[in-house]
Parts: sequence; structure tokens; C-alpha cells
Amino acid sequence: MKVLIVEDESKTGQYLQQGLTEAGYTVDLSRDGVEGLHLALTEPYDLMLLDVMLPGMDGWQILETLRRGGRDMPILLLTAKDRVEDRVRGLDLGADDYLIKPFAFSELLARVRTLLRRGRGEPEPTTLQVADLELDLLGHRATRAGQRIDLTAKEFALLELFMRRKGEVLPRSLIASQVWDMNFDSDTNVVEVAVRRLRRKVDEPFDTRLIRTIRGMGYVMEAEPA
Amino acid sequence: MKHPASLTTRLTLLFVLVSSAVLIGLAWVLHAAVERHFVEMDRGILQSKVEVLERLLSRPPAQEELPALQQSVDEMFRSDPGLQLFVETAGGNVLLSSTETAFPADRIRALAEGKTPSVISWQADESRYRGLVKRIEPELADIDSLIVTAAINIDHHDRFMDRYSRTLFVFIPIATVFSGLLGWWAARRGLSPLRLIQERAAAVTASQLSQRLPEDSVPRELTGLTHELNCMLDRLEEAFRRLSNFSSDLAHEMRTPVSNLLTQTQVVLSRSRSAAEYQEVLASSAEELDRLSRVISDMLFLAKAENGMSTPSTQELRLDEEIADLFEFYDALAEEEGVSLTSSGRAVVRGNRLMLRRALSNLLSNALRHSRPGGHVGVFIRDRDGTVELTVENEGAAIPAEELPRLFDRFYRGDPARSRDDTAGVGLGLAITQALIRAHSGTIRAESGKGVTRFVVELPRSAPMPAA
Repeated sequence: MKVLIVEDESKTGQYLQQGLTEAGYTVDLSRDGVEGLHLALTEPYDLMLLDVMLPGMDGWQILETLRRGGRDMPILLLTAKDRVEDRVRGLDLGADDYLIKPFAFSELLARVRTLLRRGRGEPEPTTLQVADLELDLLGHRATRAGQRIDLTAKEFALLELFMRRKGEVLPRSLIASQVWDMNFDSDTNVVEVAVRRLRRKVDEPFDTRLIRTIRGMGYVMEAEPA
Repeated sequence: MKHPASLTTRLTLLFVLVSSAVLIGLAWVLHAAVERHFVEMDRGILQSKVEVLERLLSRPPAQEELPALQQSVDEMFRSDPGLQLFVETAGGNVLLSSTETAFPADRIRALAEGKTPSVISWQADESRYRGLVKRIEPELADIDSLIVTAAINIDHHDRFMDRYSRTLFVFIPIATVFSGLLGWWAARRGLSPLRLIQERAAAVTASQLSQRLPEDSVPRELTGLTHELNCMLDRLEEAFRRLSNFSSDLAHEMRTPVSNLLTQTQVVLSRSRSAAEYQEVLASSAEELDRLSRVISDMLFLAKAENGMSTPSTQELRLDEEIADLFEFYDALAEEEGVSLTSSGRAVVRGNRLMLRRALSNLLSNALRHSRPGGHVGVFIRDRDGTVELTVENEGAAIPAEELPRLFDRFYRGDPARSRDDTAGVGLGLAITQALIRAHSGTIRAESGKGVTRFVVELPRSAPMPAA
């Protein structure tokens, strides 16, 4: 998976490149708009991270030029401007998602994965499996090591999210938004409590732990803890 | 855009326009009056002449009357040297014409049809005449009726009118110019309060926003304007004060965590440590930074809200359904704390879903945080005419009355003893809630007493588009 980052702020660009490289992507970094556009037009990329404020040529222009040139890779806009008009403009011009600085890296990674997955168009699975944990999406049943686990509707949704995105660190804000449709930061530890309760049912009765806490970032479900 | 003409210019022009119109109108009226007066005067003179002639012509005079008649005829011509007489029969035979001046015989004949004497004027030999025409029926049977015309030269009238017109022709422009000057002076004087306001307004600077315009010492017409300007200054001052409070709050809130992070990082860097130690420090930094970035986005959100937030899109919202969704979110947390959640009532309001959810979520998390263990958090929705009232109450230590309004201040954290846990937010939640409710044209207040704390939100039932 090749990702192009166009970002003029050198520290941000560098950390994004490092982070995404370590997450397993091949990453090119460009520090100005004209060069970034040139790269995007000549090299095949699966995804582009585009800063709006750029020297040479701003993100809006690049976005417009790319879409007019028939480039349809997912584009995630990064910006410090948090205005509704800007968001609407970005999406109108053909951006796929929009992230406002400052953002958490885990949030960015989660969105990048979503965008890449969307592009692939995989068929919807009917069952999910992580190690000996199995989730039957049609029958709404969870079993681990052959044992049935009773879950509330929200616990089921939370577990489904973890299993669909196994191996990905899910930030708390993403969990709150995906499971409870709470699209804002809450200063409570609701997500911690919910994850703790889910663990009590899914992890504690068994030998291996599947849900891990990554301090300062969020939670991840992994078959084999590293 | 073209700059509009100055008020002084406009007023001066208006003054000039009005005064010249008045002067011209007056001149015209006077002209007509003088003219009419002349006609009446001439008519009077001519009437007496015609009467003498009538007496002469209607019947032959007796012998003893002759000297008197002679005298009156003499007098007639003596007193009016310009007097002309013209007598003709109805058949058109000229009996008498005192001058070679052509009388307009046709017009005279046409006028003589009526019984009453008629006035006529005409031009002949570069002079103008005014005459009185009368038809006389002599008493002698065999004589035709006669048409008698007495006329006088009215050149002196015309000369007078001419002089009058010329005078006006000179006087009106001069008077207009003069009134223009007067108008300019009056306008400048009349507008001097505006300059006073301008001077005062110039004195208002960022550091002296408390300066106000003089509302008492300006004319009544300007008090409205100055009042509005003063109100604008009040709002500006308030906004400015909020802005500077905002900056100092922000700096204050940032300073401690940033300095902690810095110290911690420097201490860790001072000698080499194990990977686990580095990991621990980085994770704790990440948590702290996460909190900081949340404070920043909350502060920005509040700043935007306080500067008048526009709600992107609104829809009809069932408050009870929103509360049910939020209960689902807080359910696990409440259960852990042993707090029970209940709600009652239903209502529909119009609003932005994300914003209202955020507002209600803050109220609920606040109630949960301050509820006594094993306590109860209740939400009551009541639909009263035009207003929807939503109350969130929790059992817990009472808040002193004087602290209640301050609950909505930024970074206000009440007595830490009242909060059950130390996960208390940064003290922006209620401020944000208030801003969100206000953006929906609603109000929020807090009540506390007898072990129960209550937040009461009032929203217009079907709010129009929340004020931008």
C-alpha cells in the first residue's frame, strides 16, 4: 500500500511518515504543493494525506486538479481550520475524509485504514473470528472456545468493532462514535468502563487476553499479544 | 461605491432649492397681484369716463346742462392726457375716434355683445392700451345702439412691471446665493454635534473601551444613534473582555501541564533508562497531551460559540429518544458507580442533533460525577406551552447558592470534595453546554438544595433556526 503525504510542516510530516511506515505502509513525503501534485499525478498511490495550507499550491487546488485529472484514490484532508464551510468545500471538491489538527495519530491511522478498506470493496463477512473467539453476525451470537457468551446489544457492537478491525489501535473517540454515535469528545471514562465490562465477559474467563490497552492511544484486539 | 455627498452639501443644496422656489413663487404671486391691481385701477378710471359719455349719448342734453357737461368733458381729458375715445354704431359707422391710433374694431364689436362693460387691452403704435367697452342704447328711437370705448395708454404700467421683473431677476439669484451661504453655515452649525461624537469616538481605543459617547449633550435626533453606538461599544467591550479573559484562561490552563511535561521529559532525558521506563513516560505524556489537545479544541469550540455560533443544520428531535440514547452510553458507567438512571416525559424540539446531544451528554456526565454513590440521576422532560423544560437532577452534596451562577464559567471547578472521583473534566463542560443551549435560543440554570442538584434547561418547543 503506497501512501503520499503532502505536508509542509516538517515535524508533522516526519512523524506521519514514520508512523505510517511502521504501520506497514510505503510512504512518500512531499513538502510543497507543486511537487506533491506532480508525484500524485505520476506515481500510483493508494491513498493521499493532503494538508490544506501549503506553499506553492494549496490543498484545494491540488484536490481539484487531481479529481479533474481522473485520479480517484482516497484523499484525506488535514487542516487546522475547523469551519463547517471548509469541511463542506473539501468534501465537495472530492476529498474522502477530513481531519482537524491537532489529531491523535491513532485516530488518523484508524481513518486511513477505513479509507483503504473502503477502496478494496471486500464482501461483507457473516462471521468474524479472532483466535478462538467467534462472532456470528447474523445470529447475533458470540462464542469463545465453544462457550456461548451473553452480551448486551452495545457490548456486541463494541466486540464487533474490535474484531472487524483486529490489530488496529482504536482510540476512545472512535469507539464512542462508532458504537454509541457520540461524535464528540466526552471527558468521562465511559469507554473504559464499557471495555472493562466487555473484557470481564470475553477475556477474563479464558487463558489468553485478546483486548489490550495501549496507553495514551486506545485499545487493540490481537490474537497474540506481541 | 461612490461616496455619497456630504450632509452639509446636501443641506445647503436643499436650502438653495427651497429658498429659490419660495422666492420665485412669491415673485410670481406679487406680479399677478400688481397686474390685477393695475387692471382694477384702469377699470375704475375708464368706468367714470364711459359713464360721462353714456350720459352724453343716451339722450340729447338740455340746454342748461351743457356748461356742466362741457366742463366734465374738459376735465376728463385734462386729468388723463392719454385718454382716447372711440364711438361707433352697432352697424359699424365710426362716429368718433379721438386719435389716429387704431382701435381693434373687430374685437371691440365682439366684446360689445354683452350688456356689462368689458375690459380689453391691445397693442398699437408701440404702445399698449387698455380700454373699457360698453354698449349704449340711446333713448331716441331712431338711433342705432352705440358702442363706446374709452381707452388709456398703459405703457407706464408695463414700464413698472418691466422694472419690477428686472429687479427680481437680479435679486433672486443674489438672495439664493445668500441663502445658500446661510444654509451652509446653518448646516455646519447644526451638524456640529456630529463632530463632537466623532471626537469622542476617536478617543475610544482598545485600552479605553470604557469611553462612551455623550448621550445627554447631543440633540434629540442624535440620542438614538449615540445610544445605539454606546450599546455597540458595550457589546464590543464585553466581547473584548471575554477575548482577553479567554487568552489568560488558556495560558493559565496550559502552563501547568506543559511545564509538567517539559520537566518530566527533561528528567527522563537526563540519563539513559530502560525501554520500559521510556515507554511509561511516553505513554503518560501521550495521556497528558491528549487531555491538553481536548482542552484546546473545547476552548476553540467555546470561543466560536461565544462569538455567535451558527448551527449547521437543524431537525425535529425527540428529546426523550436522545436521552434514551445517552442513557445507553452512560449505562455501564452508572452501573459501575451504583447510580440509577431514570427519565420521564417526552417532547420535540428543533435543533442540531450533534450539538444538543453534546449539551445533554455534558449534563448527564456532570450529574453522574457528582451523584452520591448508590444515588439516583433523573431526567424530567416537560412540555409547557411554547417551552420545553428539561431537568437533570442528581443526589449529592448541595452547592452554595452563590456558587450556582459560576458553575457555567470556564474552568470553574467547584469544591473538589463534592466530586466523587478525580476524573473531573477540565471545567469546560458546563460552559460548553450553556453555549450550545444558547445557540438554540434556550436558557439553562442551576438549582441546589436538600441534597439534590438540578440543572434546568428551557428550549423553545419548535425553535426557529437558532440565532446565528
